[in-house]
Amino acid sequence: MRIQKIGVVGCGTVAEGIALNIAHAKLEVIMYDETENWLKDGLAGIELTIDNEISRWGLTPADKKAIMSRISTTTKMRELKDVQILIEAKGRSLEEKTKIFMDMEAICHDSTIFMTNTTTIGVTDIQKQLMFPERIIGLHFILPVHKSIIVEVIKGIHTTEEVVKTTKFLMDTLGKKSIEVYEYPGFVTTRIIMPMINTAAHVLLEGLASAEDIDRAINLGYNITQGPLAMADEMGIDVALTYLDSIYKQLGDPSYRPCSLFRKMVREGRLGVKSGHGFFKYDKMKRRIQNG
Amino acid sequence: MKVLTLNCGSSTVKYKLIDTESRSNIATGKVERIGMIGASIELKSPDGNKVVREVEILDHVMAINAILKIMVEPKVGVLKDLEEIDAVGHRVVHGGETFSGSVLITDKVVQTLKDNIQLAPLHNPPNIQGIEAAMALLDVPMVGVFDTAFHSTIPEYSYIYPIPYQLYKKYAIRRYGFHGTSHRFVSQRACEINGRNFKNCTMISIHLGNGASMAAIRNGKSVDTSMGFTPLEGLVMGTRCGDIDPAIILHIMRQEKLSLHEADNLLNKFSGILGISGRSSDMRDIEELYFAGDKQAHLVINIYAYRIKKYIGSYFAVLNGVECIVFTAGIGENSPLIREKCLEGLDHLGIVLDKKKNDEVVGQEAIISTPDSPTKIMVVPTNEELVIALDTAEIVSRMKK
Repeated sequence: MRIQKIGVVGCGTVAEGIALNIAHAKLEVIMYDETENWLKDGLAGIELTIDNEISRWGLTPADKKAIMSRISTTTKMRELKDVQILIEAKGRSLEEKTKIFMDMEAICHDSTIFMTNTTTIGVTDIQKQLMFPERIIGLHFILPVHKSIIVEVIKGIHTTEEVVKTTKFLMDTLGKKSIEVYEYPGFVTTRIIMPMINTAAHVLLEGLASAEDIDRAINLGYNITQGPLAMADEMGIDVALTYLDSIYKQLGDPSYRPCSLFRKMVREGRLGVKSGHGFFKYDKMKRRIQNG
Repeated sequence: MKVLTLNCGSSTVKYKLIDTESRSNIATGKVERIGMIGASIELKSPDGNKVVREVEILDHVMAINAILKIMVEPKVGVLKDLEEIDAVGHRVVHGGETFSGSVLITDKVVQTLKDNIQLAPLHNPPNIQGIEAAMALLDVPMVGVFDTAFHSTIPEYSYIYPIPYQLYKKYAIRRYGFHGTSHRFVSQRACEINGRNFKNCTMISIHLGNGASMAAIRNGKSVDTSMGFTPLEGLVMGTRCGDIDPAIILHIMRQEKLSLHEADNLLNKFSGILGISGRSSDMRDIEELYFAGDKQAHLVINIYAYRIKKYIGSYFAVLNGVECIVFTAGIGENSPLIREKCLEGLDHLGIVLDKKKNDEVVGQEAIISTPDSPTKIMVVPTNEELVIALDTAEIVSRMKK
């Protein structure tokens, strides 16, 4: 299969990262969302990410021009009818995701492959409502999407091997290493990383050390490039809370019971990088303010 | 002999159809945006006619097929029949240690190129794709001409880096040098113009394009060159830094927490003329600023010329005297300012520029030293495709005999 054009549903942080990654791999991408304003913000987010990359020599101004020229946007779902692959990164619940794919089934060709970005929502559950359940597969991208090279590929019970093969081929094209995982809450990455993030929040709440020192200890002590609290900021405090809640509900394992600090921060609007303030502070370019 | 030369990049194919007897171009052109929406093919004939068309081109096979088709198209084409093409010459960036000259391409050669991919991960894969595509479409002999081959004569004490020797054994880390086809062409041509025997001459050739390198040539063989394991080493280039203290990059990586990719980009895409000027990687822009009195542009040009001058000095020592210095490529052929700046104050070495003559020479063959200068200084426009075509013709006719 020669992939040329990919549709992305959604324009939040993950969708932005996916669109950027696709366009950087020299493929055309069309982003769909409900309002022009959201899409405008999405594009602005992509530009900001690229500008940040340019400022640290990751991309060149010529790369920016080429990447942006490959990204188009639309508020009309039917404009995605000719894409070969559709990646959904918008629905926050099983119901929302199912609705999006049912709508897309009515628009896209029968051969279009559907991919859903999911952390805790089961692919098989989405498949139940679809006419062609065999063509849908789950992906779990890690933030920041354009930099992280790992993607978990989640096969639903009906997903065909052919779809798995195409998905792995696409991930190769995007410069990602894919690992195939079974459907289970949190898969591999989120399942393993969330207890560390949760424990770091507890350690902070208990006053054992400052946020900087907690992150530095893990970062330098275990040679992990980012500390757990900075990871939570990157993920979004609200998103981290949702993951913990969801895995805790499904597994009943107390190490996933969210630290109360997360709820407090969400109430205060301290959502991490995206709001400029989480465990740490960030400037408008989403760069961490030192000692902030 | 009619030879089609192909230069395949990841999303482009540049081609020339050359008549090797008359050394003239029958057609030139390129395919761009392979595998992308809006791919196009261009064909230029020697009378200046140009055709550009948007077509669907998904891979190198389709690209080369499109080139072959347009060349025989009744209205715009330059050939009646594809059978008129006698051979194909491929530009290949990296020959590794295996290829010390141009070779007839066989399945074994293709396999060796594949084995060498890790030495040129960006350039060799599209070169190989182009070779395989052409082999699938044309049943004529094909020849590979390597950027590195001319430098295969560099002595061991010059190509081994002073780092643990096991790294040479393990990863073939050594100086390879690039632009070999250009250095070979202009140095040979300079000898022809001077009526000197290439096999009996000491020369320095200076290729100053967007990428830039120098070669010290003795008796027709490259004995040293400024580019090294990759095209990053040596002179200051459009966006590449050339020689720097390797500890600098480790320091910056630590300070700025850079990834390998970012560090690689910093040195290859954000440095050189662009990095110092902060404005452009194009020497023409910098010269304009220089003549308008811009201070930073003066700095760029001084650094650029000084680096070349240092290499001239060191190659003068390597060669124990130089009969001829040749300038070529975009900047070398077209910038009297750069040529003058890098030769300034070398009179005591016997390198004496005729400033008036130098100022007059832009993009043409010429001798620009004073008549009594012991070292001749020349400008020779490069023509890498012609070398590829001539090498191809020679190997193919030898094969036919």
